[in-house]
Amino acid sequence: MLKHKRRSVIKLAGSAAAVASTGMAGILASGRTPAYAQQKTVHWLRWVDFVPASDQLWRKELVPQAEKELGMKINIETVNGNDLQPRTTAAIQSGSGPDLIMAFNNTTYIYENSVVDLTDLAEDLSKREGGIFKYCRSFCSNGKIFMSMPWAVPGAMISYRKSWLAEAGSPDGFPKTWEEYRKVGKKLKAAGHPIGQTLGHTFGDAPTFTYPYMWSWGGKEVEQDGKTVAINSKETIESVKFMTDFWKEAHDEGALAWDDTNNNRAFLSGTISATLNGASIYIEASRKPDTYQTEKGKPMKDDILHSPLPAGPAGQFGMHLMQSTMLMKYSKNQDAAKEFLKWVHTEKNYEKWFLSQKGYSTPCTAKWEEHPLWKQDPVMAPFKVAARLGQAPGFAGLPNQKAAEALSKYIITDMYAKAVQGMPAEESVKWAESELKKIYSA
Amino acid sequence: MIEGAVWRRWVFYNIPLILFVFVLLFPFYWMIITSFRPDGELYRPWNALNYQPFWTNKPTFEHFTYLFEETEFGRWMINTMFIAVTSTLISLFCGVLAGYALARLNFPFAGSLGTVIFITYLVPQTLLFIPLAEIIRNFRLGDTPWSLILTYPTFLIPFCTWLMMGYFKAIPKELEECARIDGASRFKAMVYIIVPIAVPGILSAGIIAFTLSWNEFIYALVFLSSPEQKTVAVGVTSELIRGDVFFWGSLMAGALLGSVPVAIVYSFFVEHYVSGLTGSVKG
Amino acid sequence: MAVTAVPGMVGGRQPLPWMRKLEDERWLAFTLLLPTAILLGLFIAYPFVEGILLALSDARVGDPGHFVGLQNFAKLWNDGIFWTAVGNTFWYTAVTTVFKLALGLWLAMLLNRHFRGKAIVRAFILLPFIIPTVLSTFAWKWMFDPTFSVINWTLFNLGFIKARINWLGDPTLAMASIMVVNIWRGVPFFAISLLAGLQTISPELNEAAAIDGARPWSRFWLITWPLLLPVTMVVMLFSVIQTFADFQLVYVMTGGGPANATHLFATYAYQIGIGTGLLSQGAAVSLAMFPFLFLIVVIQLLYIRRVEVR
Repeated sequence: MLKHKRRSVIKLAGSAAAVASTGMAGILASGRTPAYAQQKTVHWLRWVDFVPASDQLWRKELVPQAEKELGMKINIETVNGNDLQPRTTAAIQSGSGPDLIMAFNNTTYIYENSVVDLTDLAEDLSKREGGIFKYCRSFCSNGKIFMSMPWAVPGAMISYRKSWLAEAGSPDGFPKTWEEYRKVGKKLKAAGHPIGQTLGHTFGDAPTFTYPYMWSWGGKEVEQDGKTVAINSKETIESVKFMTDFWKEAHDEGALAWDDTNNNRAFLSGTISATLNGASIYIEASRKPDTYQTEKGKPMKDDILHSPLPAGPAGQFGMHLMQSTMLMKYSKNQDAAKEFLKWVHTEKNYEKWFLSQKGYSTPCTAKWEEHPLWKQDPVMAPFKVAARLGQAPGFAGLPNQKAAEALSKYIITDMYAKAVQGMPAEESVKWAESELKKIYSA
Repeated sequence: MIEGAVWRRWVFYNIPLILFVFVLLFPFYWMIITSFRPDGELYRPWNALNYQPFWTNKPTFEHFTYLFEETEFGRWMINTMFIAVTSTLISLFCGVLAGYALARLNFPFAGSLGTVIFITYLVPQTLLFIPLAEIIRNFRLGDTPWSLILTYPTFLIPFCTWLMMGYFKAIPKELEECARIDGASRFKAMVYIIVPIAVPGILSAGIIAFTLSWNEFIYALVFLSSPEQKTVAVGVTSELIRGDVFFWGSLMAGALLGSVPVAIVYSFFVEHYVSGLTGSVKG
Repeated sequence: MAVTAVPGMVGGRQPLPWMRKLEDERWLAFTLLLPTAILLGLFIAYPFVEGILLALSDARVGDPGHFVGLQNFAKLWNDGIFWTAVGNTFWYTAVTTVFKLALGLWLAMLLNRHFRGKAIVRAFILLPFIIPTVLSTFAWKWMFDPTFSVINWTLFNLGFIKARINWLGDPTLAMASIMVVNIWRGVPFFAISLLAGLQTISPELNEAAAIDGARPWSRFWLITWPLLLPVTMVVMLFSVIQTFADFQLVYVMTGGGPANATHLFATYAYQIGIGTGLLSQGAAVSLAMFPFLFLIVVIQLLYIRRVEVR
């Protein structure tokens, strides 16, 4: 690591120094001496992965390999997921910044004027790998262009402590309905380890809970026409009322303003018994079985299982964080960036990353469902179909720019958060309705 | 001052003072202890039985090594230092000249100009950053330290000018007049007579400007993008908050080290800071 | 990174024939003000005008938009979160300023005596003020963390509380927590500046009053406070400006949450403009802050002038 670090500093000194640091050996091996001296640089902005091993893999192995094979410099930068949107806006406005930026969910629509069409790359991938799932396609393509290249879907499932759930009266698996979950949760909280769920402004765990929760009660943002705001319904109000009691009875009330990382820490430290999350908790617990242990001194990883969200009166739903890569219009290295994007999406290279995720992320194409990785660990099996079964925000309309605005303003999440803090259900739904109307009527 | 009994001194002075010092400094103690704590201890919840918050038996340097090996922390420090020093110098230069003109020269609209400069201090940064982003784009300064070096003076100059105005006003007018009688030009009288007298004021304005630019966050957050260009505050915020579990150790280590340079500057100049403020306040 | 040249902009050096012109006070003033005028004009006046135009348009990220008049402000008028932010900003500024002044003054009085280790105490006490806000706020965030709070641990073990206090998860407590950090950060600045003011007051005045039989409390109100008032007002002025436009502290501690309960002008403008990409609406929020701040400052300045004339 040290060695690479030193190199990345020297990199800045300019291309000459970069050549020097790679050494003549590197140049000879790549066999493209002069081109390397006037190389292009591709700057790639990603989130800080919840599976640290993957970030290591990029820095230590895949990036150096790509640099060698493609004859370009690759600058990989990782930031806290909540900073991605601000960084994208700032970069577009100042006309400089990363060439490739990771986008979450349908925020791609917010930037649709500022990105390069990637249809050729995406359709090629789709053809090679058995088709891009509808869920993923709806986020990346606005029907005219591919605003971004589908990357992967870190599935959102409830991670829970098997033994505690069993003690609380759910011995065979996870509760199937919200009613059952609430009953079990009541006992869990009484036993000193409640359910941990954020209702804060955070990109992953908040919306991936509140949207499907609302849908499962029959609530929806808009009608199918994408214009008529439909949130103020009997069903939504019902769901808010239920949530308010459910929260008090079964949830950790400190969780109201958690971000995506708080529940990981709370779960691993043994203060909560269940939380909607990616598989990162389990993966971290497996990585350090000696650090994370149950109160009985056993490795915690053996006590963790995953389950989809329970079902409500209108069915069972899921929404999973969709990640894609945007190529920015202001980029001066669009060709190089495209070349690199193509490179990471070749099966051989992508697989290395996929394996390092250990099932945390589900790829967007059908082919990967067959991958042997999914058979390795039964605990991870529920994540296999995440990308196939998700429903996009904006339902029953399309996940377009307006839906993206509603999502980035956290309106649905705030509707529940307000109610939980004591606002009457009818009022909080009305508040959400007026906010949504401002967006959808514009 | 008439001193009372010993117990009175304790009740009215010493104990309150100790409380003040304790509350003001506790967060730093907390930073230090957290940055030397192994991860294993950091994940104990507040009500765990083996939670001993104020001490650790197994101090570790792993958080500091993480900072320097896995992030560009050293680089961020250098960037911040360079940006803070350069923008402070620019602002001092402008502020001293402008302060002198506004305080000691007769010219039309002097008073209203002073007010205008002061008002610029009130313009919200959040209003400016989008238009500034476009200016920076046009100058092709995006993602370089110059995007900050040139924008920081916008809030430093008004402050420096204002401080220096107060300081210059307090210097008697006769000093200059004597020099001018001896044949010095106006410009020379300013450079050789008045400015040297104002050095304490300049120093204190400089210290405050340096602190403000070390502290700045919004512009740095918006205008810089590559990891190797970031400042400490932005780098720590955006890159040390990791998705995986317990980042507090390295975060606190970063916060601690990031505070050291300003603390050093202050420990040297605290007297100047106080006297400089006094001077400007009297004016 | 190589050091590049500053784009030509500094106009300080003058060739010799000019020297004579500088004898004219007006020319000299013009020359001395030039660098400031250029920098402030280019980086404040121009963007300020652009910012106003932005607030009057419907621009969003990547789309320059059209002129729409006051539409954005009409939207704000009906925006509950905006009014929460307005209320929060005033409440936040008022409460923290009062506390900073009271505690800062108290601390300054405590420091305005001779005792051993005075220099060290004075230097250390400044730490909260000089350390980058973002960094120290992280320490506080960690101290307030719902699951790992050391404050809760202490209170619990001292027997003050039975269950944990939900510092950042409860809207009222979250606001209070933010205020605590702001006060913590501001008290040293008040204390040191007021101390500077106290030291300009001649001790003889106090002694004379004491001989005349004035009690300490009335000595303070009749002698110290009036003499200290000009300094106090100046310090308050700067503190109010800083606090009113505060961003970093809230951004780090709560990001405006829970459920928008702790937004201030600046954080809300940032969230809308930069977060969601609705540039024009973000600009409108920021612009709305300006008249409020302007008014407060004008009142303070007028008051300062009155105090100083007296």
